[in-house]
Amino acid sequence: MSIVLFSILLCVPLAASVYCGLETRRKRLETATWIASAITFGSSIWLAAAVLEHTTLSSPQGWFYADALSGLLALVVSGSSLVTALYSVGYFRRLAREERVSSRETRLFYALFNVFVFTMMFVLLANNLGFLWIGTEATTLGTTFLVALYDRERSLEAAWKYVIICSVGIALALFGIMLTYFSALHVVPSSANALNWSTLVSVAGQLDPAILKLAFVFILVGFGTKAGLAPMHTWKPDAYAEAPTPVSALMAAGLVNIALYALMRFHILVHRAVGGSFVSTLFIIFGLLSMGIVIPFVLMQRDYKRLLAYSSIEHVGIIVFALGIATPLAYFGALLHLVNNAIAKLLVFLSAGNIRLAYRSKIIHRVSGAATLVPFSATLFLVGMFAVTGWPPFGLFISEFTIVSAGFASGAIWESSAFIFFVTALFGGFIYYAGRMVLGPVTAMQSTGEADITTIILLTVLAVSLLVMGIWIPEPLRLLLHRAVLVFQQ
Amino acid sequence: MGPGAQTISQYIDILAAMILVTAFLIVSSRSLTFYVRLFSLQSFFLAAVALLVAIGYGEMHILTAAILTIVVKVVAIPIVLNKITDAIKVRKEIDFTINVTVSLLICGGLVIVADSVAQPILSAQTGDTLGVSRVLPASIAMIMIGLFIMVARKKAVTQLIGLMTMENGLFLSGLAITYGMPMIVEVGIFFDILMATLILGVFMFRINRTFESISMDTLRSLRH
Amino acid sequence: MIDIAADIAGVLVQAVLALGFAPLVTGIIRKTKARLQNRQGPPILQPYLDLQKLFRKGVIIPSTASWIFRATPYILFASTLVIVLLVPTLFTPVPLHWAGDIITVVYLFALGRFFLALAGLDTGTSFGGLGSSREMSIAAIIEPAMMLAIFTVSVTAGSTNLSTIVASLSTTPASAVNPSHILAFAGLFIVTLAETGRIPVDNPATHLELTMIHEAMVLEYSGRYLALIEWASQMKLLIFLALLSNMFFPLGMATTLSPAALLVALIAIAGKTIVLAIVVAVIESTNAKLRLFRVPEFLMVAFILSLLALILYFIVGV
Repeated sequence: MSIVLFSILLCVPLAASVYCGLETRRKRLETATWIASAITFGSSIWLAAAVLEHTTLSSPQGWFYADALSGLLALVVSGSSLVTALYSVGYFRRLAREERVSSRETRLFYALFNVFVFTMMFVLLANNLGFLWIGTEATTLGTTFLVALYDRERSLEAAWKYVIICSVGIALALFGIMLTYFSALHVVPSSANALNWSTLVSVAGQLDPAILKLAFVFILVGFGTKAGLAPMHTWKPDAYAEAPTPVSALMAAGLVNIALYALMRFHILVHRAVGGSFVSTLFIIFGLLSMGIVIPFVLMQRDYKRLLAYSSIEHVGIIVFALGIATPLAYFGALLHLVNNAIAKLLVFLSAGNIRLAYRSKIIHRVSGAATLVPFSATLFLVGMFAVTGWPPFGLFISEFTIVSAGFASGAIWESSAFIFFVTALFGGFIYYAGRMVLGPVTAMQSTGEADITTIILLTVLAVSLLVMGIWIPEPLRLLLHRAVLVFQQ
Repeated sequence: MGPGAQTISQYIDILAAMILVTAFLIVSSRSLTFYVRLFSLQSFFLAAVALLVAIGYGEMHILTAAILTIVVKVVAIPIVLNKITDAIKVRKEIDFTINVTVSLLICGGLVIVADSVAQPILSAQTGDTLGVSRVLPASIAMIMIGLFIMVARKKAVTQLIGLMTMENGLFLSGLAITYGMPMIVEVGIFFDILMATLILGVFMFRINRTFESISMDTLRSLRH
Repeated sequence: MIDIAADIAGVLVQAVLALGFAPLVTGIIRKTKARLQNRQGPPILQPYLDLQKLFRKGVIIPSTASWIFRATPYILFASTLVIVLLVPTLFTPVPLHWAGDIITVVYLFALGRFFLALAGLDTGTSFGGLGSSREMSIAAIIEPAMMLAIFTVSVTAGSTNLSTIVASLSTTPASAVNPSHILAFAGLFIVTLAETGRIPVDNPATHLELTMIHEAMVLEYSGRYLALIEWASQMKLLIFLALLSNMFFPLGMATTLSPAALLVALIAIAGKTIVLAIVVAVIESTNAKLRLFRVPEFLMVAFILSLLALILYFIVGV
């Protein structure tokens, strides 16, 4: 049964991408993509249910593997891709209508979009650390052309920076994986198994701590680059700002979680093997650094898409910080925050995309009075910004509160206080700019109006679910989160 | 270790030293064509090391990796790079952010740093130490020098070569500590590297089309 | 008594051989270069004829020159001759092996170079000062490179004494084929090109202001002074080639004083030196002289190669 499930999750996006590469009619491209995303999302729900029932699923030879953590993240990533796919339909139709995109670019987008989803699912299901690496590098390669979709100077610059920096990072991560394999070979008899995460975790106590510490440093730098952890975050603002809206949204809600997933897997392994506070200290330092380094850039920002990218860096920092606290409550907070952050990022990026289409500008001071021009998108954008900065009653407030409580409970007083300070400081910056954009007199010369009704409904659903998550977590989700926390603790 | 293994070990040492020397020559060179040729030579030495490991120590799965190295890195990638540099009418001289003399000294220091990084790994080897492990410091040095090349040189092509040098260093260190990863992982890694080169190559075409040159100086418009 | 007599004989033989063979090496290089450039070129024995001619000619001394100008040719010649006596060419150990080691050799070279640079300044012309400053800036990088390259070899052999180094290497030839030695050879080869003023560092045949280094310092010399200086630089070339061949390929060196062994050694050293001389000539013919501001980069490569050789020795643990 696991084989069937894994095959669907992997083959459907792959097949869709091949189809989109060959197909030329836009209607078919759209349908293929959102149907493929829907099937993937449905399969993820099935996967989550299966994992709740069987605890772990493996393919023969142990190359692919799923447990509660994979299930949770698969839900988040495939859900994000479904939302983005649905949004893209309206988005690209509008662009085509206004002749701002060629049909070739549209076709390229849909084909690469499905490749992107495929690579992400590949990483999530990989048990073999080598596969994990290959998949992560593949996500970089797959998204490069998406970032550079519009053939502009700045897009090329952003995409170039993105590929180079992420490839360097991932290369360092490969060294870390080699070191892990090296330490495993002494312990695990068969070399075919020595790269499998599930096997490694079971023998973690026998692995050489010194080697794993060194390996972990490389892996943290490598996958941290992919996640956008400071100080390796420099590619993020450029890439998110220059990429088309659906791409930025999926990167912020999907790709980030892939990198975090890899970090989590290694966190579990190395923490088990090394013990003590080595891993935690590193995570807390990098997490707080990411949150703090963002402050000057947020307070003095001209471009609202870059602003959102910095928000993404901040939230990656929050999740990593929570993983560093390393208590069950903190893990729960981290995973909850991951879910909420994905929803909020989708909301905020996609509504900003609508504003961008209406105003034809990414510069903050050129956008004003959005509430009048594009009322729905503006409201949703403002709601999203409040959510993203951790304002109650939205879901992120709950998760951040959980994290801070866990921090104080475990005795990390200074660190948690720094956390609160950073979140508050950033709140001011985000809300100020959001307010300036939404309120005030209208400045656009001409506007192409509001997005279509399906998109509005989609975004409203997102906003509502954020609200809901702030008050009540649905029972199946809560169960999944608990099981995922257990994975951390096994 | 019998006398046969001893000579193989010697040849591997010499080849590793040659690889390191090509990395240094890349750092000291000013000509783009020379860069590409040095990279090709470096990959050839690397494939030779892999072949020696495969045949000498009986690790047959490395044979595939060795052949892939020759096909991809010695032949294919230099051809691609030469096509790119010919098609893009780029001045074949490299611009530096750090000049040659200082760069060479820094790289010399990096070799020493690489040795101190490698020591804990080498001392952690229990049981039979691999005869090829002695090249680990050289391979880590290659990774660092590759990173340095990417930072200290201004042309897009040199960044690509720096990245490839890093990958060569990674492959060599994989050989050094574990006789390479399982075959399917190595194949996947090679595929990724090839794709990365092709993608970067396409990018260089597009950058050249929109910008005047492919110097990194022009890619500075995105600030904060 | 017999030992002392043998030692004195050995010293004389080495001195005569060096003095006699050095111009021949230069002649071979010039002839090979000419042939590669499709010219006939001067006869191989031309340097001997040049020296003979110079010794017969009169000396002109600038009026502003001091005693340094007159003393330098003798100092240079003497120090180079002493170095020759310290380097194992035919047999090891050299009779004077107790008198000095590698560091002595380097300092003797430095002594000669120091006085030559002073003499260049002493002439009072701008050419002389120009040559001296260029020479010194090259020396600043080359001397450490040379020391590092030779230290690599001496670390393997466990001593800085040249005779001990060559002896230990000739007994275990297999140890000579390792990365440190190969890199040290490469570094020392570039040092040779720089120290003896060959392309691509300096053109020995030029008199253009833009490109002169060694020639600029000796521009004002004439007659027997010039002869001594020329001879000394030819011997310097021979010394470096002998170092390169005997420290890295110590085959055929005589350990006893039997005529057969000496003959074999003579043929061996002659063969190795001639091969290296031809290599130098080929390199000179196939490369262009580097522009002056690029020279430090090239020399830095030599330095790094030597440094790498030393580092690799400790890393690879050969």
